[in-house]
Formats: sequence, C-alpha cells, structure tokens
Amino acid sequence: MSRMRVSIPLAVVSLVLVIALGTPAVSQTPKAGGTLNITQREDLPQGFAIHETSTISSVWPVMPCLSNLVLFDPLKKTESMDTIIGELAEKWSWQDNYRNLVFFLRKGVKWHDGQPFSSKDVKYTFDMLREAPDAPAKLRINPRKDWYSNIQNVEAPDPQTVIFHLKRPQPSLLMMLASGYSPVYAAHVPAASYRTGCIGTGPFKLKEWRKGEFVEYVKNPDYFIKGRPYLDGLKYVVIAERGTRTAALQSGAVDVAFPGETTKTAAEQLKKAVPELVVTEYSQNVNDNIIMNMKKPPFNNAKVRLAVSRAIDRHALIQAVHQGGAVIGASMAPKPHGFWGLLDKDLHTLPGYGKPADEKAQAKKLLAEAGATPQNPLRVEMVTRAIAIYVDMASFVINELKQVGIEASLKQIETAQWHATATRGDYQIGANLTGIGPDDPDANFFENYSCGSPRNYSFYCDEQSTKMIEQQSQEIDPKKRLAQVAMLQKKLEDDAARPLLDWRLDYFTHRPYVKNLVPHQSIYNFGRMQEVWRDK
Amino acid sequence: MKSYVAQRLGIAILTLVGMSMVIFALLRLAPGDIVDILFSTAGYVNDTEKQAILKELGMDRPYWVQYLDWMRQILTGDLGKSYRYDIPAWDVIRPLIPVTIELAVLSILVAVVLGVPTGVISAVRQDSTLDYVLRVLSLAGLSMPSFWLGMVIILGMVSWLGWIPPLTYVKPTDNFKAHVIQFMLPALAVGYRSSALIMRITRSSLLEVMREDYIRTAWAKGQAGRVVIWRHALKNAILPVVTVIGIEFAFLIGGLVVTETVFNLPGVARFLVQAILWRDYPIVQNLVMFIAIVVIFSNLFVDMLYGVLDPRVRYG
Repeated sequence: MSRMRVSIPLAVVSLVLVIALGTPAVSQTPKAGGTLNITQREDLPQGFAIHETSTISSVWPVMPCLSNLVLFDPLKKTESMDTIIGELAEKWSWQDNYRNLVFFLRKGVKWHDGQPFSSKDVKYTFDMLREAPDAPAKLRINPRKDWYSNIQNVEAPDPQTVIFHLKRPQPSLLMMLASGYSPVYAAHVPAASYRTGCIGTGPFKLKEWRKGEFVEYVKNPDYFIKGRPYLDGLKYVVIAERGTRTAALQSGAVDVAFPGETTKTAAEQLKKAVPELVVTEYSQNVNDNIIMNMKKPPFNNAKVRLAVSRAIDRHALIQAVHQGGAVIGASMAPKPHGFWGLLDKDLHTLPGYGKPADEKAQAKKLLAEAGATPQNPLRVEMVTRAIAIYVDMASFVINELKQVGIEASLKQIETAQWHATATRGDYQIGANLTGIGPDDPDANFFENYSCGSPRNYSFYCDEQSTKMIEQQSQEIDPKKRLAQVAMLQKKLEDDAARPLLDWRLDYFTHRPYVKNLVPHQSIYNFGRMQEVWRDK
Repeated sequence: MKSYVAQRLGIAILTLVGMSMVIFALLRLAPGDIVDILFSTAGYVNDTEKQAILKELGMDRPYWVQYLDWMRQILTGDLGKSYRYDIPAWDVIRPLIPVTIELAVLSILVAVVLGVPTGVISAVRQDSTLDYVLRVLSLAGLSMPSFWLGMVIILGMVSWLGWIPPLTYVKPTDNFKAHVIQFMLPALAVGYRSSALIMRITRSSLLEVMREDYIRTAWAKGQAGRVVIWRHALKNAILPVVTVIGIEFAFLIGGLVVTETVFNLPGVARFLVQAILWRDYPIVQNLVMFIAIVVIFSNLFVDMLYGVLDPRVRYG
C-alpha cells in the first residue's frame, strides 16, 4: 500500500516532466537507401561544366557529382572559416604568413571512371581557372577568373600535396575554395567534356541526363568518405512551370524544392495545404540593386546617383515586391543571415536607409543641385531583365523615382541580351539582381566593385575603395578585417556605387522525411547531398 | 491521281525550301545568339572570347554559307550539332517526336469522339434543350485555353487526390497504365477545346445537308432515321469536319507548348520554346522544318481523303 502511495506521485511527476520536456526524441540515426526526387527549374544550362557558369541552375544539380578541396560543412547553417571541412584535402595549412596554402590530399580517391585522383588534377584545375600561361587547358567562358587572380603559382610536389603560392596574403581564398563553384576537374578528360557528362569524385555518379527532362545519379560505391552517401540515388526533375513545381511538391511527386524559388507567400500557402512540409527561411545571398552607368550622364554625377539611392524606400519595396520575404542590408548580407553585414544602427546612417520622407526630401535637394527641377525633370530609361522578379522590382523603383522628380521609362531586356547590355554599358540605369557564391568580401568586392571587373556593371572605379578592397583582403586579423569591411560597405553606399535595396530570403521547402539537408546562408554551397538521408 | 500527288509533292518541296529561308532569316533577325546566352549564364560578356566561340560554332561564317551548310546537312541526313548540348541535333530531337505525335493523336481522337457525335445530336435536336446545353459546352471549350484547363486539372488532382501524373516520361513498355494516365489527362484538356470546334462545324455542316432534297427523299422513302443521318447526311457533311481535323492535328504538333509545359511532357513544342530562348539554331531550324513537314503532309492527306469520302471529288 505504501509503495503504491509513493509510486503514484512519482508517475505523475514523471508524466509532467515528459510533457514539459517534450517526448523523448525518436532515434535520428541515419538510414541508408532510397532515392530523392529533387526539383530543377530548368535544364542544365551548360551541362556539368560548373566552371563555365554562374547560375544556381548549374550548381544545384551538379554538385553531387563533384568534390572540392574543401567545402562548407553541409550540416552547419552558417558558412565561415570555422565551418570549412576537408573534402579531397584531408588537411590544410597556411604558411609564410598566409602567402602559401598547403593542401594534404586524401589517398585512394578515384574518379568515377576508375582513374586515381592526385595533386595533378588540382593543379590542372586551378591553372586552368586562373588562366596560367602554361595551363594545359582553357575554359571557353571563365566567370570566376578574378577569384584566383592572387594565385602566383600552383605547385604539386607529390601526388598527395598541393601548394597554392599567393602574390599577397589572402585568407578568403579558402572561403572561395569551399564554395560549390570550386570543384576539381579531372585532368585526364577534356574540360569541354563536362558540358555533356560528368567524371567526378563526388558522392554520386551520373546515371543519365535526359535533355530537358531529368538528371539522374546513383550512389558512388567508391566515395572517399566511408558510409556516405546515405541515399542510393538522386533524380533532379526539370519542371519549367512554376505552378506544376508547386503541385509536385504538394503532392509528394518531388521531395525537395529548388533553392531560391519559394517566396514567403508560396511557402505559407504550401504549409497551409500540407502542414507537415518543412520550410526553412534563409538568405539566398542574392541582392536587389540599382546599377547606374557612371561613364555616361547623368549618372556620372555623384549627386544624381545619391538622389536615386535616397529616393527608394527599401522597407516599402520589401513589403510590396517580396511580401516581407527580404531584409535590408548594404553590400554584404546583413546579420544574422550573413557574417559581414552591417548592424542595424550602422545601416540607418547610410543614404536611403533613413525615414522615407526625409530621404526623399534630400533626394529632391540633390537633384536640384544637379540641375533637375520640376519644370525640367530628369528623364532616364531604366533597363531590366525581362523576368518577373526583375520587372516587379524595376516597376516599384520607377514609381519611387517619380516621387522625387525623376521620370524613368522601363525597357525590358531579354535574357539573351541582359548581361551583354550591362557589361558593355549600353544603358543609363538598371534594376539588377546579384548573387554571390560564398558570403565573403573578396568574392563580392573584387567581382562587383573593383575597377575593370566585367561584372562591375556600374563601372565604379574609386582609388580609395580599391585600396580598401585590397586592404581588407590581406588582413589576417578577423576583427580588424570585419571593421575594414564595415567601413568599405559604408563607403560604397555613400558613393552610391551600386545602391543595395534588399537581400532576398528563400523559404526552402522539403518533405519531412528528408533529413540533413541544411540550407546555408548562400544558395550555391549546400548541394553536395552526401549527408542527406530519407527517414522513410 | 498520281500526277496530282506528284504536283502536290513538288509544291511541298518548294514550300519547305521557302520555309527554310524564312526560319533561317527570322532566327538571325532575333536579337542575341547562343554565345550571348552562354555568357549570360556566366554573368558577363567578353567580346574576344565571344568571337572565339562564334568561330568554334561556325557562326562567324557568312549567312549564305551557314544556310547552304544546313541544307547540305538536311540532304545528307545529318542535322548538325546542338549549340547548347554539344551533341548531334538528331539525338536531341528524336525522343521528342513520339511524345508530341502521341499526344496530338490522342487529343484528336478525344476531340473526334466528343465532337462528332455531339455535333450530330445538336443538329438533329436543333433548338432543343439538349442542343442549347451542348452549344454552351462547346462555347466553354472554345473559350477556355487548354493550358488553363490543364492547370486546373493538375491543381484539382493535388487538392482532391494529393496526386499528380508522372513528371517524367513513362514508356508504355515500362508501365502501360502510368503511360496512359500521363497522356490521357493532357489529351483530355487539349481534346476538349478541339472537340468544341469540331462539334460546331459538324452541327452547322449537318444542318445544311439535312435541308437538301436527297435527305428529304430519304425520309420520304421511309428510311430509318439512323440510316438517313449517319449514312446519307453525315457522309455528305463530313468534308468540312475532316478539313478542321486535319488543320487541328497540324496545329497541335507545334501548338502544344503550354500543355506540354504544364503537364511536364518532354515534347517538341516545349523543347522548341527552350531552343528558341537559347538561340540553339540547329534545334530550332530542324524542329520547325519537322512541324512544317507535318503540316504539309497532313494537309495533303486530308486532300487525298476528300476523294475517298466524296466520289465527286476528282484529282487532275
């Protein structure tokens, strides 16, 4: 009887504790097997030749076939120096005060065709990418040549060691090498063959690419990480129609959405229809911005550029165009989504980030100083890519500009002509989107703000900014570098080099049984899939 | 008859040559080319590199040389290489053709099976409630774009059944049931629209014939209604219907873009649009020529069929 009296309160306490703390977690030991059906919004633009493209449509479906020297840990949300793990490199070491980066490669790694992997492949790849004079191969299009411009020489002293000799210290090189855009190609197959097939060392081997329909992979039994991948295969199904993509996810015909495609509104609707879907909000590392051609009037006048920047109400744009699915930030992705972004208190001191009415008043004043009056308004042509996500933003901006006395007409440019128009400067002002591989200042500033870069569409070229870009790139002390990057961001916004409007968020969606698929703060780096498994 | 066919084939060849020139010229008139698109996926343009790629693809040669080269390729059965995929164009095109032909044939079958009987009923029961209902249904079919109907079907299936048809092509030999389902739903969406047109043509044509003296005579002779309508009236009213069926079939070969996109079917039309966006000239030129050939031969087939259906038609 007394034992009974004791045990009843104990049971009640236990029950309360269980309820309070939640039910015991179900074992999350990964299960092997199964195939994942993954959404692909368009067919592979240039096959598996990642090094010849700069689009998520290539990186996302091709990453499982290839490997990098190093990679951002697929299981960690945040990409930083601390989350870089070895892939083909087992270990690495900075030497000579960040002038030499030495990689010690894994032994026994095989390409999908059975050939052994060695340091020769690494040297081949990076000599080709940096367009070394003695490079054995040349890419027909090389969009990230600038990433590797600081490499003086790549040395392969033995099959398991590679040394990157740098012209000057550059800690960020490791960040760029960890991006999904930095795989190692096989030296024994022509670089052009990646446009039609894939010989990689990645966790999955290409089984079939049915043009315009799907890309199918099977597990690589010789993958260098034992016990990985968990899945038997992957199938990237090309679904061009957005409505069909949503229906496919809703019905379970595909297990995973395409990164960067699910808006906040769409995610809310999907979640309402299928409550068990897993939706993760994260930064795409893609921003909306205004490009202004500084080689031509009127935007060679800093006052006019600044007036444009001040005229646009960023918060209103986020609500109107993205239904809240974006955040404000300067040229680096803002915290907590990005590592380098400015704090809110700093952002609000920048032109265009204050109270909308005050900002518009200042914009009008600047325009008046530049000679534009209500009787003689500034008339410009705004270009944008003829895609809804661009046009929506451009339309909003035009309306904002009108409120300060800039009459802008919209010209839509077809995709085929868009980058040519921007690179050649055949425009006055444009509404643009910029995606950045890793969340790293070097990957961003050299490409988009340095003098002469082909993707510096505004032709911004400022001596002081160039020095600041170089300086932060060489800074070894992380705290000092963070401060330098903050200063640089303020400078770029003060100069209205390429006014930032917002950073887009994605609402990455997958079925609940898909495990270990963790979105990072950039859409370009989490597609390797070797840790992903099906709990079904 | 033989000389008529030969004459038509001669005209067909001339038409195809003319078509080839128009296609070739229009593609070159469109702004941008494959190299611009390739650079677009890389986010920049370099004019020196662009020239090198144009040379690699043979696009730096004069237009007339490129045109003659294409003609030579067609005559030798080599359709060239896809700029985008870097493989023979025929390898890209070949799997698309059966998908589109099957969908077009099924759609036409649906259209005929729905359109002809309802057209006959509507004519025979002219101005009855049934006639009005069928006419409203046919007007609805004409008014609703098939892609919209297709999307409604997809969304309805997801909402009510939590299921959608297969997203990748299922071969009949792999899973016949799945194959039939995959094609029947878009065929119903497309066929409904075409059936509306066929129904209206059948109705008006039949109404006209029903007023002819020989039909009145058939009734007067006491022939059964079924015989009068199906054997005498419909047989004489069918020519315009056959014409419309032929035109619809030819239209469907190239006109299924949105339906193929909505149902994610890897057919000619969907692929053609992608190829146009990519300025993949070898694919576009050859696919458009294929569509032109189908249009010309389906028209020829319909013309031949006139003679079979109506003995009064003579070819000279």
